[in-house]
Amino acid sequence: MSGDGWIPTVCYQCKAECAILARVEGGVVKEVKGNPRARGKACVKGMAGITSLYSNERLKYPMKRVGERGSGEFERITWDEAMDIMETKLTELRDRGEAHKFTYSMFPHSVTDPKWRFVNACGGFISTGLPHCDSAKIMAHMHTFGCFPNHHIAPMYYAVPKGGLMILSGRHPFGCLDDACVPSHILDAKERGAKLIVIDPIFRAEAAKADWWIPIKPGGDAALFLGVSNYLLANDLYDKEFCDKWVQEGDMDGLKAHLKDMTPEAMSKICGVPAGDIIKLARMAAEAPSACIDAFKSIMYGNGMDWGHAWSIFLVITGNLDNPGGQPLPEIAPMAPVEPVPPAPDVTELGYHRTGPDRSQFDSYKFFLQPTWYAAQAIKDDTLKVFFASECNPALSEMGSGEWRKAVTMKDENGDYKLELLVVTEIMPSETMKWADLVLPDQTNFERWEMLYMPWWYNYGHCAALCQPVVEPIGESRHANRVFIDLGKRMFPEYFAFKDDVDYYDIELAGVGMSVKKLQENGGLWSPGTVGFRKYEDAGKFNTPSGKIELKWNMYKDIGREWPSPELPLEYRRGEDEFPFVLVNFRTIYLNNTGAWSQNNAQLRDPVSGLDANPCLLNPIDAERLGVKSGDVVTMESNSGQVKLPVELTEKIIPGCAGIIHGFGQTMGKVACRGSWVSDNELISDAGTTLDEQDLRGGEAHVTTRVRIYK
Amino acid sequence: MKQLSIMVDLDRCIGCKTCIVACRNHHGLIDHEYDMPGEIPYYLRVESKSEGKFPEIKEDSWVVMCQHCKKTPCAKGCEEGAITKDVQTGIVLFDREKCTGCGECVEKCPYKVIQFNEKENYAHKCNLCYDRVTHGLDPVCVETCLTNALTFGEKEILLMQADAAGKQVIKKLSAQSIVYVKTP
Repeated sequence: MSGDGWIPTVCYQCKAECAILARVEGGVVKEVKGNPRARGKACVKGMAGITSLYSNERLKYPMKRVGERGSGEFERITWDEAMDIMETKLTELRDRGEAHKFTYSMFPHSVTDPKWRFVNACGGFISTGLPHCDSAKIMAHMHTFGCFPNHHIAPMYYAVPKGGLMILSGRHPFGCLDDACVPSHILDAKERGAKLIVIDPIFRAEAAKADWWIPIKPGGDAALFLGVSNYLLANDLYDKEFCDKWVQEGDMDGLKAHLKDMTPEAMSKICGVPAGDIIKLARMAAEAPSACIDAFKSIMYGNGMDWGHAWSIFLVITGNLDNPGGQPLPEIAPMAPVEPVPPAPDVTELGYHRTGPDRSQFDSYKFFLQPTWYAAQAIKDDTLKVFFASECNPALSEMGSGEWRKAVTMKDENGDYKLELLVVTEIMPSETMKWADLVLPDQTNFERWEMLYMPWWYNYGHCAALCQPVVEPIGESRHANRVFIDLGKRMFPEYFAFKDDVDYYDIELAGVGMSVKKLQENGGLWSPGTVGFRKYEDAGKFNTPSGKIELKWNMYKDIGREWPSPELPLEYRRGEDEFPFVLVNFRTIYLNNTGAWSQNNAQLRDPVSGLDANPCLLNPIDAERLGVKSGDVVTMESNSGQVKLPVELTEKIIPGCAGIIHGFGQTMGKVACRGSWVSDNELISDAGTTLDEQDLRGGEAHVTTRVRIYK
Repeated sequence: MKQLSIMVDLDRCIGCKTCIVACRNHHGLIDHEYDMPGEIPYYLRVESKSEGKFPEIKEDSWVVMCQHCKKTPCAKGCEEGAITKDVQTGIVLFDREKCTGCGECVEKCPYKVIQFNEKENYAHKCNLCYDRVTHGLDPVCVETCLTNALTFGEKEILLMQADAAGKQVIKKLSAQSIVYVKTP
């Protein structure tokens, strides 16, 4: 412990993991604020982190299930017993040649996360929030210009020049899933003359500050930007010099041919944005010194891969790669490997946890990790036998959560659960915990050691931040990283020969001439402080097989996916008569939607400092048609489930859509279970059942469904 | 008149409520272990207003705290003299020792920002972080504002800054010592 005062550490109220300072007084955390060395901000979730730390709902010791799965009945056990249970089952799985039927769902805090190392040593799979939420974007950018982004590689708003365009497409950066300094950077850029354009079916805080809000039909983003690109090419408004130099030969002609009929007028019919507005957007992009697109929710549609491809094409033809105000191409800091490194399982050979009528076509896609997570399907198919979960909440916050809950209770002919072991590490009671065989009490960011090495971090592109314990841990809680280092020592001593977590981070940090101690002494952060622009010019190439930008995806020729389709996701194109409304589930700043500890946070559920209601947002035009008014309780029903919730009429939603917040409805925990909160995932079907088109489009229908609404 | 103030820029306030939680933590207004939603005191609150019909919509958000009024209705209502307007800073201060818990100030406050501790029978509210600002620091809400929508300083200087930035004072939100501004 470092004693009293302002101590640098890292927030973990969401996945952005902002560098913060915690004020400790007499061994108690009193206050939190952003670390000024990282352009220091912390959002409302970060401020409320102290409430998670000290809540009397903290899980304090390991527990073993005593009732049936789902009963939520547990008894206290020792850490040794918990470790024995995990070791025995994983060893048994490996001995019978089924190590790959172990999956750990987690958010790795770096590619060198020790939990990930443990999974690799086991021969299991990792299912992360990273490919899970926006694999389509990652793959699209990788295929097109060889960069490895994820949702944390937002455009560098602090670099947007005067007149530059900041385009948010289904994106909520004021909700701080990005670094907490992003909102102020966007507003700063606006003050120096950049333009903020918000494309979203719902008018939210970003739209309130935008120069232009473009309401759009959900899933229409690909069509919109293909229409924009058509106009730019047809009118010679694209960056010809950049394209001539950097785009693979023949691709521009191919693109022009592909986009020939995707005129603003034609695309308007699909996305619902007037053709004149598509042209206006195209002209603005052509005239602006820079343009960037930040998207998150819109990449989680069933046509996510098409949108990712269209997005990449727009960035390329407007010459907005790795320039100030465009799409950054991140760098990776040279962390040292902890030798010997366990090999990762061959995902291509072992197959994904994914089913579909024609999965051979999906398997043509070049994902580098388990691309998505259809646990329910995998359990039914006997391809998932052991499941560990850290910092995620599949029983509630993943599509088809009802299917998931059903699947984990499925039994075989002997009366044994098909899923043989389900382990959850958690800070507070979570919905998923209810179904767990083992519950391991995790530590908050105020109690644990962790090295955050994130090549995708917003601040400087590549940097390391130290999360260090600032107070003594509550109860017998242990951080998951330490638990799986200890289990690794038991099972794979050759790969876990280092002393402990701090030693592990020291070895990695040596790659940049740092150590945990030096980070402690230097404000908790390391970064070269630069991102650099147009790094492909120095390299003379892009990081693609051809070294050029590849607009045409030749590797998908066999499945006819070389170019993007403008069509809406299948889930929106069918069932309109039966389910007339499109569900728009959205995020808020008051919640890390997958994190049970932020759902159980009293300050974030307080009516003054957070959110205490999750109504169904409806445009008054629709409400009149339905004969409902604000406050009426309605049933919202999809082809996979139904929820009851109150209606709130607002002009802030596009007619034809129904809005609800993502990821609530938890029945565990005294705070989370208050009130009439519902989970959107009761309505979104398990994607394993809707893969007929997604096999082709490489997308994941995380957010796509239609609903009907009645009183 | 000497008056310290906070300028709230509606162009930058996104209604995120970070200030509320930061303030609670700093002033120890919350029992993290046991407090439940709806029961936690607060020195700030966020308000917002939407106008227009789809798709032509406008929305503003702003934060409301003690306005440190020029003429203090809360002090006038306090028979114990527990409420004073500090002559050096213009900050309206509550003296907990003198407070008898009559609740008159809560009734008199036009901005409904005074909190009342039922258990220990005293009224309390924002003191503009008196202990911080008299030692050269900004109030906690200003320091932690997610979007830098809040600026702290001498009221006259803040008004000059707003004018120079082309912002107008929104008088209907407060005619008191907290200044609300926006680009017209």
